[in-house]
Amino acid sequence: MKVSLKWLQNYFEKPLPNAEMVSDAYTFHAFEIDEMQGDMLDVKVLPNRAADCLSHRGLAKELAAILNIPFAKDPLAEALPDFPNSNKLSVEIEDSRKCLRYMGAVVRGVKVGPSPVWLKEAIESVGQRSINNVVDATNYVMLNIGQPLHAFDASKLSNPPAGGDGAVAIGIRNAKRGEKITTLSNEVYELSENIVVITDAHADAPIALAGIKGGKLAEVTMDTTDLVIESANFDGTTTRRAAQALKLFTDASLRFQNRPSPELAAYGMRDVLALITLIAGGEVECVVDEYPARPQVASVSVPLARINSVLGSDFSHAQAADVFRRLGLETRIERDVFTVTPSFERTDLIIPEDLVEEVGRILGYDQVPPTALPMPATAPDQSRFHGIERMKDQLIEQGFIEVSTQSFAKKGDILLANPLDKNMPALRITLEDNLKDALTRAKYVAPLVLAPNQKPKLFEVGTVFPKEGEFIELRMTERVPEWGLPAQTGESANTFDNLSIAKLEDYGKDYVPVRYDLGVYQPFSLYPFITRDVSMWISNSDEARGVVLRLFAERGSGILRQVQLVDQFTNKEGRQSLAFRLIFQSFERTLTDEEVNGVMEHIHAALASKGYEVR
Amino acid sequence: MNRDATSNGVNPEGRLHPISIAVREIADTFSRMGFGIAYGPELEDDWHNFTALNVPEDHPARDMQDTFWVRDPERGRSPSGDSGDKIKGNQGKVLRTHATSVTMRKLEDMAKSGATEMRMINPGKVFRNEATDMTHEAQFYQVDGLAVGPTGSVTLAHLKGTFDTFYREYFGPNTKVRFRPSFFGFTEPSVEIDVWFEVPGKEGRWLEMCGAGMLHPNVIRNAGLDPEKAQGFAFGGGLERLLMVKYGIPDIRLFYSGDIRFNYAFEEKKV
Repeated sequence: MKVSLKWLQNYFEKPLPNAEMVSDAYTFHAFEIDEMQGDMLDVKVLPNRAADCLSHRGLAKELAAILNIPFAKDPLAEALPDFPNSNKLSVEIEDSRKCLRYMGAVVRGVKVGPSPVWLKEAIESVGQRSINNVVDATNYVMLNIGQPLHAFDASKLSNPPAGGDGAVAIGIRNAKRGEKITTLSNEVYELSENIVVITDAHADAPIALAGIKGGKLAEVTMDTTDLVIESANFDGTTTRRAAQALKLFTDASLRFQNRPSPELAAYGMRDVLALITLIAGGEVECVVDEYPARPQVASVSVPLARINSVLGSDFSHAQAADVFRRLGLETRIERDVFTVTPSFERTDLIIPEDLVEEVGRILGYDQVPPTALPMPATAPDQSRFHGIERMKDQLIEQGFIEVSTQSFAKKGDILLANPLDKNMPALRITLEDNLKDALTRAKYVAPLVLAPNQKPKLFEVGTVFPKEGEFIELRMTERVPEWGLPAQTGESANTFDNLSIAKLEDYGKDYVPVRYDLGVYQPFSLYPFITRDVSMWISNSDEARGVVLRLFAERGSGILRQVQLVDQFTNKEGRQSLAFRLIFQSFERTLTDEEVNGVMEHIHAALASKGYEVR
Repeated sequence: MNRDATSNGVNPEGRLHPISIAVREIADTFSRMGFGIAYGPELEDDWHNFTALNVPEDHPARDMQDTFWVRDPERGRSPSGDSGDKIKGNQGKVLRTHATSVTMRKLEDMAKSGATEMRMINPGKVFRNEATDMTHEAQFYQVDGLAVGPTGSVTLAHLKGTFDTFYREYFGPNTKVRFRPSFFGFTEPSVEIDVWFEVPGKEGRWLEMCGAGMLHPNVIRNAGLDPEKAQGFAFGGGLERLLMVKYGIPDIRLFYSGDIRFNYAFEEKKV
């Protein structure tokens, strides 16, 4: 939720601290800040607070509690007016589980035009585009108190069949399969039954995707004079599924999917009617309110002792009481028990732990002292883990290298309904294929990382998913004669084991796995490498080796990655020979043979000039 | 004539994968704080991955774009021609999206055995159906865990103490830990654990490392325990991220590449 500090300031008489401090206040007491840009903060409102905090009012109220500064005016605490009633509009909800409330208003005689400067600036300060005074008013009220709103052009809705009195009719119903709607941005969507639409009921024509986006049919334009304003509440799951099916996520759908209280709709209607008549003129003819079931708000209690026994804190009665006061929560205090009756918009306060969280976060988790857990009566059991690690250590000792590979496979017994890679739709039933693959690559890169006499041997411990049920497999690329399941014969004998059934607890009980310190990561090039051998006669001195290595470094042209001494001997005449393997590789590109041959020529020439005879 | 100049005749040792090295280190620290190690299935049922953990029926986490679901055998046959019936038992299963499913199983074990306290870490592979890039993998390791005891004996302050110790041991004595408010269905209150980490020669910074909180009473109840009697904390964080920060590894995809150059990209010393 993008908020502007200037906008938040409307809620306070005292000037707010700077953006940095406001950001810290939210971060340590409420929500993370995704981005800060001058006057604008992008607040990552948590899912349990999205019902009331996807709004400037909600976030201002949080700030008031966190900074302990007076909240100057709360639009949700101000009484609602008596809306004018008439039969100029009718509303019919087909399924009250999908539309929890629908308020519609008719406003006549508005003048659509550009927004006043303050409104345009406010809308633009949070990254939105100003459209016209009527549309901006609906957006402003949504961004201000969190209630999504929509304005239709009333003159584009049908009159009743013969004999009517000019009343328009709004319907809220499931879309028909194959029904189409063109949205305000001129995209055409084909609908299915689980998407809810708002209709021009007399014509039974969809005019909006409920809780998502308005349609072209009743769009407000510069010529519009009469409006139908919608302030409604649509079910969260229905809205989310519809937005997902249509791949159309909007400010409205985001809010409805987080289930704001249907009570909020009346406040949204009050504010948007006031704003529209103020900046676009016109007169409110009527407001109709279809509200099948008003939600009950239940109170919740927590004793001070419970707060401290969950947090491990030592907060006082006065501190806890102060938190509830700062949050503006109606609280009854009886001895050490706090009973909170949440205001309608705080749909997140249900169980005692919710109140514990309010105290913890508002006072600050830095007030919770880090405390060591006393050791338990029984020693911790890590014997199975140590058993597995003991097997790994044995393999390491025998020269095996441990790899870890992907669990997805081309073929298997278990298929994914939604694989990430269509070529890997299954779960592996064995580690064998991946290990074979890894070995091929290990053989290729062996000169880069292994000692010249080291044979690449690999193993992996990982879960496999045959149809009989998953288990942890150990698999090696070479036989380890002492290991393996008794039934294993032939090719694969002694190359794998089922660690899920192996009795490893006793094997690991007293074993301490080998521990390693690692240095910082040294990047390696993913480009192919080229090797060249060079051997030479040298004079009988250790010095020569250093000279030759320096020479390689100087003449390697920045592409000589490694030098390995692969052979060294002294012949009968006492002459010494050195043989080196040179590995060329670039971090930027694939090297060519010609390029490496060129470097080798330079190296040979340099060796010769030092008096070494290249063999 | 000696033709074996480059080796002292000893067969060189192989190398452990860096994940194994890290898990050993973590297991050791946690064992000194009384934590055992628990295992659980990677192919998990809906109950242990979602429902029991207080993730509501219509939560976005259950959507196809976040979670890998096993194909409904009624609707298709596997390419090998096997009848779908053979895998019917896996219907509705998911690749676990967190190792908190193991925490749930351990809580159920407590209820069955009548134990009143338990401390476990669950290091294991988890899966998320998301596009991969340098910092995201569809499969990665998580270290989840729990500490539960009689009411009042395991608190948020203990969670802080536990992670203070753990991060100091893992990253060094200058490490600091802070909590920020967060939200997870299975904990209340929920916190995000940030770690102040100093790379030698660079400026220190706060990094988001782990999600945690006090087990939600519904979760304790779902396990068959009494939330009036049992209380505790749960946590879970990505393992690769710990290593990436500690050693400066730039790309998470290196971990499951099966490329042995990754094992050898570090100076290694036995402790």
